[in-house]
Amino acid sequence: MANPSTSSLVDHFFRNEFGKVVTYLTGKFGVAHLEAAEDAVQDALMKAMQSWGYGKVPDNPTGWIIKVARNKLIDHLRRQQKVYYATQLPETETEEPTISEDLFKDEMVKMIFACCNPAISTEYQLILTLKILAGLSIREISSALIKKEETVAKSYTRAKKKFKEENIILEIPSPEDIQNRLGVALKAIYLLFNEGYKTTEGEQLIRKDLCEEAMRLNQLLLDKQETNNEQTRSLMALMHFQVSRFDARLDEEGRSVSLQNQDRSKWDNQHITLGNRYLTTVSDGMTNAYFLQAAINGIHCASPDYEHTNWTYILILYNHLYSLNPNPIIALNRIYPLSKVHGPELALEQINELSNNKLLAQNYLVNATKAEILLQLDNLSDARAELELAIDLCANAKEREYMTRKLEEISL
Amino acid sequence: MKQYLYLFRGGDEGYANLSPEEMQAHMAHWTEWMTKISQNNEPVPGLPLHNEGKVVAKGGEIITDGPFTEGKEIVGGYVLVEANDLDHAVEISKGCPIFEFGGTVEVREAVPM
Repeated sequence: MANPSTSSLVDHFFRNEFGKVVTYLTGKFGVAHLEAAEDAVQDALMKAMQSWGYGKVPDNPTGWIIKVARNKLIDHLRRQQKVYYATQLPETETEEPTISEDLFKDEMVKMIFACCNPAISTEYQLILTLKILAGLSIREISSALIKKEETVAKSYTRAKKKFKEENIILEIPSPEDIQNRLGVALKAIYLLFNEGYKTTEGEQLIRKDLCEEAMRLNQLLLDKQETNNEQTRSLMALMHFQVSRFDARLDEEGRSVSLQNQDRSKWDNQHITLGNRYLTTVSDGMTNAYFLQAAINGIHCASPDYEHTNWTYILILYNHLYSLNPNPIIALNRIYPLSKVHGPELALEQINELSNNKLLAQNYLVNATKAEILLQLDNLSDARAELELAIDLCANAKEREYMTRKLEEISL
Repeated sequence: MKQYLYLFRGGDEGYANLSPEEMQAHMAHWTEWMTKISQNNEPVPGLPLHNEGKVVAKGGEIITDGPFTEGKEIVGGYVLVEANDLDHAVEISKGCPIFEFGGTVEVREAVPM
């Protein structure tokens, strides 16, 4: 009678259990049975939903789900005698196993490495991670990625096929391999985060979930000695800083608000504090792209308003970032701080050079940035022309709306 | 007050495509509703039922495995509530989350002994 009701379950309990238990069972029965493990856990959760709602949750809810899912999986495999002889299969159990959080964490880290295997394309890495580890349904993934449900379903089927073809096993990479493999995993995690963060279109709740999932997976890597290094900690700092601004990016009408105009009192200080805490644990940051990006974000977070931003530091960090990774997007992002430190004339010169770069062709941010620089030079007519071009090129409705408002302001 | 039995049937087809997150939300609706219909500060008596079972006929000569009927017909659980009359019992049943996925509540008056 003392058992708690379902309201005592933490948010996302089912979703997190899905990832944990699918991973655990796949580890026990082999990657070949990933699909059957997913079905078994789905069934077990459905059974939990149908029973627990009557009022009580078992003492060991995770053990309950494992027991039910495991027995369903064994039944399924037993029916498929060609895979296993029934005698080789473990007996179904009546006991609810108690499995330590540490064991789950170990298994989940192995699954992160499996889903983020370099033999799998980044698109498939993302879908495998979202479906298996994050416990999202195909419909939720399609809504979060703003893609068609059937497209995501097809990709997932192909991704799972690839997963099996590559004979991926659940393991922690060898010490010689782990740095490279961790790099691939961190890239996938940051991609996942950005999928949630990058646009203000679509349903915000599910998009924020992606950001939270990315951070949860990164936390799993931080909890393990072999995978807790300066890269992992820097990425965590970066995500904390960015997510602190999640709600401030939209105004009451759901319109996009640029960094310059955000209400900084809406920034989440808890995330900013955590971001700073992770940053201070990094000693060699200048060759670490996550650190540099995190530090740039950290400076914005520390500044009382946009005017007082320490552009000198930001420019130095961008210079380091560009020398690590000389890509035109970074060069473009460097233009505004450059204009603040060395004046708009030099910035205009550099952005004009940049705009010939093929990789930036048709990118509205070039014109939008140019408009900012021209405004600093009081060249209103050219600024207007650039903004108009940017509005034409921009596919994001919220951004377009923002630039249209800006255009109206300077046309007054 | 009279006693009424609610038999919850179906919904399973709709459940099959739910994501874990949606399942947790639906389960929370059940808990809320069960709390709402609790009587005399006690939860109403009732339990969920497994889908598996046996049908025994002819004094045990014929024993068949479940499921006994189509998925949408299977009784998934029951509760006993007290109500003034059948209309009142129907009224109480209206907030049941089973309707979210096309299930039904069969309301039956118990014969007092």
